[in-house]
Order: sequence, then structure tokens, then C-alpha cells
Amino acid sequence: MSLDVDRSDESPAPPFGKRVRELLETRTGRVGVWVALLAALVLLVAFWSLARKALIFGLAEEAPLALAAVGFALLYRLTGIINVAYAETVTLGAYFGMWFNTTFGWNFYLSLVPAALGSGVLSVITYFAFFRPAHRRNVGVVEVIILSFGLSIVLRYGLQLIFGHEQRYFKVPFQNPIKILGLGVPPFRVTALAGVVAGALILYWFIQKTRLGIQIRALAGDEKLAQVSGINPLAVTLLIWFIAGLAGGAAGAFYGVGASVRPLLGWSKFLYILLAVLVGGARGLRGVIVAGLGMGVLISGLTLAIKGQGLYSEILVVLLFIIILKLRGNRMSEAAKV
Amino acid sequence: MSLDWLSAYLIYALFTVAGTIGLAQLLHLQMGLAGIGNFGIVGFFGLGMYAWGVFQVRIPWPEALGDWGTFFLSLLMAVIVSGLAGVLIGWVISDLEGDGVLVGTLGFASIMYWLALSEKRWTGGAEGMAVPDPLRTFNWGVKPMSLFWLGVMLLLVVGITYYVARVHRSPYGRLLIAVGQNEALARSLGKPTFRTKLILFALGSAGMGLIGAVFGVMNHFIRPTEIGIEVTLAAMVGLVMGGSARVWGAIVGVLLTAGLFDIVVQIYLPLPDSWYQITLPVVREIFFGAMLILVLLWRPLGLLGDMRRDKLVERLGSG
Repeated sequence: MSLDVDRSDESPAPPFGKRVRELLETRTGRVGVWVALLAALVLLVAFWSLARKALIFGLAEEAPLALAAVGFALLYRLTGIINVAYAETVTLGAYFGMWFNTTFGWNFYLSLVPAALGSGVLSVITYFAFFRPAHRRNVGVVEVIILSFGLSIVLRYGLQLIFGHEQRYFKVPFQNPIKILGLGVPPFRVTALAGVVAGALILYWFIQKTRLGIQIRALAGDEKLAQVSGINPLAVTLLIWFIAGLAGGAAGAFYGVGASVRPLLGWSKFLYILLAVLVGGARGLRGVIVAGLGMGVLISGLTLAIKGQGLYSEILVVLLFIIILKLRGNRMSEAAKV
Repeated sequence: MSLDWLSAYLIYALFTVAGTIGLAQLLHLQMGLAGIGNFGIVGFFGLGMYAWGVFQVRIPWPEALGDWGTFFLSLLMAVIVSGLAGVLIGWVISDLEGDGVLVGTLGFASIMYWLALSEKRWTGGAEGMAVPDPLRTFNWGVKPMSLFWLGVMLLLVVGITYYVARVHRSPYGRLLIAVGQNEALARSLGKPTFRTKLILFALGSAGMGLIGAVFGVMNHFIRPTEIGIEVTLAAMVGLVMGGSARVWGAIVGVLLTAGLFDIVVQIYLPLPDSWYQITLPVVREIFFGAMLILVLLWRPLGLLGDMRRDKLVERLGSG
């Protein structure tokens, strides 16, 4: 085994992402970006029928991704915790909603309330039971990710033990599809989209503009400073976890009513949530919403373009987002919080 | 010597435990020393397994190579392919932080799973593919064959453990620890941190691929269900349980988790027969997940605790 230390004096080459960014800032780079945008527009017009379908189906089916991503981004940006168990917050929202919907016969929109509240409370409980003790014992960053991974496993397989593998469904009345841009979409999906977008925007407004939202961001910026200026850190932290849970639970209920409710529901979306947050997060919550919606449109567009092979579109989207992440490099951590 | 007590299930359980120790040892180098939280272990494991199967079954090797020639060539290709994947993923994640590493490795494991499902022509899709065992020419019967592969896996694990122990005592090991504990400092002292992480990740991935390939040989059948998140979880919980900074951590930890559950609970506890198909695998994962949480909250360094080096430094410092 040899000790492999580079003793040469040459300065290391700048990271790949930085070189790309520098290229983009030159004149040719800027022209290149405009050409690429123009090409995208031409493609959009040329493949309008495909793009139309991608937009409608992507937005209608994957809209909850934006809401779930906003919740995850709040948690990540404001507390610094990557919570893998957030996937199960989403799943449990779907189960809570389905439970009230099928057992008590609640209307779907009404059952969103217990779905969101249940997940919100669960999120706070996980904070108290696991993440707060971990924080107090100075558990490292990677270890907290592993801890939340363990929690995610326990919750997911616990659900599987209780409910089994089978898929369950919301009981919602059949509705005639309505036409948008010449395509039939179940009205349910349209209201879901509207609800998701409204929810995400309300969260955005709450965090950016209200007094409480400003307090939350202050805490994230500097805990000690926040404390001396009279903000109660515990209350604000709880609020963050609760709001993240609300968003996740509502997203889960929307996912559940769109397809089916199953223990793997949240986990199957987790990679996308994570990618949307990491890629969009540098531009704040707006970026996360755009990245979440864009991801849905991309997946459905690619699925339509590559007929019959749904998995390729997912592979391509994951690759694309990871490449974007790589190009951006460590700028994420320097970016302003939310 | 009568080997009747050695049931087929026990051999397979021992094989699984040994393989998990191997994966946990490789994870120990990546996570315990160099601080790279690899959540995509199963991706490299699965790539090795499938690469071996595809090269073995789908490539028309010349007859002259014989069974063993094609076997070793396919095995070599599997190691090379997973090593190359390690270079690629390592390049992607080596200058990202914990979140980027999580998404890169998790994304890689998902992509491997999706490819195994969708590339039906090569992998057999969801039904999987049957793969030949090069031992079949000897007509030994089933049990000696699985014993043989158990021995191969044990040798592999002993080799990996020996390597890990050597790394701990070498300057290279100190370099890895420096990278894991304070990368910026190591870089400012002139250590090539990016290259170190990249090479380490590639070697670890190649090793995981080799273990995956041997799993494929032992199973005689390669299916997407073999490359679920459970593999990553078992290796990770074993390492964390034993102590991610210690040479013996992976061994002690895996014996106490996978060993305890797969061998003691599943074979020697009187459990109702109806549990084995559906309930026990789920309970196993819950047990592992709960162990991860408990260990990290109450004994974050694992059962074995600090690195020997740290204790030594402490003693020298105080004395």
C-alpha cells in the first residue's frame, strides 16, 4: 500500500461546475444560453401536441410533488435536517385521509384536514422523540441522515405490517372529465392542482411576508440572536416541523386520491422530492415550487416521447437533475436560506 | 463427519451474513473513515450481480474458454463495471456535501433497480434470469455447491477485513481519516482529497460489485427483488451497531443484527409457520430500523466505541 500524496506545486484545477459557470458568464456563454432557450421554444412549438399533453398530465398528476417539496425544503433550510422519514409523513397523510374518507364517509376535501393535521402532529412527535434528542447529543450530520433513514424504515415497514402490501383507494364519486387545451382531465385532478398550488403559495407568503414567517427565518439565520431578540426557539422549531408535516400530509392525500394508497407511496416519491429541493432550493421556495412542477411535466413529457417505457423517463429525469446539482457544485450551501 | 445439522437454510443464512459483513466493511472505509455516507450500496452490489449474470449468460463466449474461463472473465467484467460506476458516482459526489451524496447514491441505486426491471432483453425484467453455476460439471449435488460458495464468500470477507486492518495501520488510513474528519484542513495541508475520495469510492464499489456477483452465483437466479433497499439497510445497521470507526465494528455489528435475526430468530426460535413468508421479513426490517435509531441516539459510536487511535491520543495527551 503506497502513500499517495500529491506533492506537486501546481494549483488544482477549478471544480467542474465553477468552470461551467465561468463559461456561462462570458459573452459566448450568454449567447449560447439564449440560443438554447430559443431552441427550446422552437421544440415546444414543433412538438406542441406532445408538449400540451406533457403539461396537462404532468401538472395534473405530479402537482403534489411541489407541495411535498415545499414542506421538505422548509424543514431542510430552516433546521438543517435532511429528514428521510419525511417520505412517511407523506404516506401517513394519504392513510389518514383515506381513513376519514372511507370509514367516516367524509368528503375528500374535508378529509384533507385530518390528513394534514395528522401528519403535522406526527412530524412534531418525531421531532420530540428523535431529532431533538439527537440535536442535544450533537449527533453528526451524516448520522442524523442515517437516523432518519432508520425512522423511515420503521414507519414504512410498520405500515406494511399493519395494512399489508395491498393498495387501498379513496372513495370519491366519478366525475366527467373536463376539457383543457383539448385534453380530457378529471375535474378532481384540476381542483387538486389548484389546491396544491394555492397551498404552496400560501406557505410561500407565510414564510416570506408574515411576522411569524420572519421570526422563523430569523431563527434559521442565527439561533442565539433570535433568542436575545425575544423569539422562543422551541415554539418556532415546533411550528416549522408542524407546517412541514401539514404540507407533506396534504400532498400525500392528493397523491393517494390521484392513484392509490400504499405503504411505499411516500418512499417512491422521496427521490424526486429531494432532487426538487436540492436543485430548486438555491432560488428559495419559489425555485422549489418551479422545480417540483417542472419535474412532473418532464417525467410525463418523456414518458409520452419514449412510448411504453415509463422507467426511462424517470431515469433520464433523475440523471438530468443530478447533473444540474453537480454543475452547481457547493453553491447550494452558500445560498441564502429560503 | 456428519453435516446434517447444516441445513440448506443455515448455509444460506451464513452466506448472507458473511456477504453483509463484507459490504459493511467496505462501507466502513467509505463512511467510517472517509465520511462518505453511501446510501446506494445496493446499487453497486446489484450492478455487480447483474453485470456478472449478463456477461455470463448473454455474451457468446468462445467454446474454448470452458465453464471456468467464462465464469472468471464474467466475474472480472462485473468487478470492472462496478468499479467504473464507482468512478462515475464518486466523481459526481466527491465535492458535494451530505445532501448531495445522499441524492447521488440513492439515485444511482434507484436507476440500477429501474434498469434491471426495464432492460428485459438483458436482465429478464421482473421475472429475472437463471444463471449457471460453474460447479455443475462436477456433479457434486446442491449442498456441497452452496458450501463451496459459502467458503468463497468467507475467504472474500477475510481478505477484505485484512485489507481494512492494514489500512487502519497505514499512512493511507490516516489520510482517509483526515479527509473524513476535516476535509478543508486536509486539503490545505496539500493532500489530494478529491482524488483520495474518488479512488476509495471506486475501489469500494468494485468490492461491492464482487460481493454482489458471488451472491448471484450462489442464488442461481438473479431478480430485481434481490436488490431492494434491504441490502443497504442490513450493511448500514451492522456497521453503525458495531462501531463505524473500528475494524471489528462491521463484524460484531452484523453478527448482532443480521446474524441474530437471520440465524437465531429464524432458525432456532419456535415461530408459527405462517409468519415466515410475509411477517418475518417485515419484522426484520423494522428491527433493523429501530436498531439504527437506538444505537445512534444512545451510543452513536457503536458498541465498540472510539477509534483506538483516539484513545491512544487521549492517553498520551493526559499522561
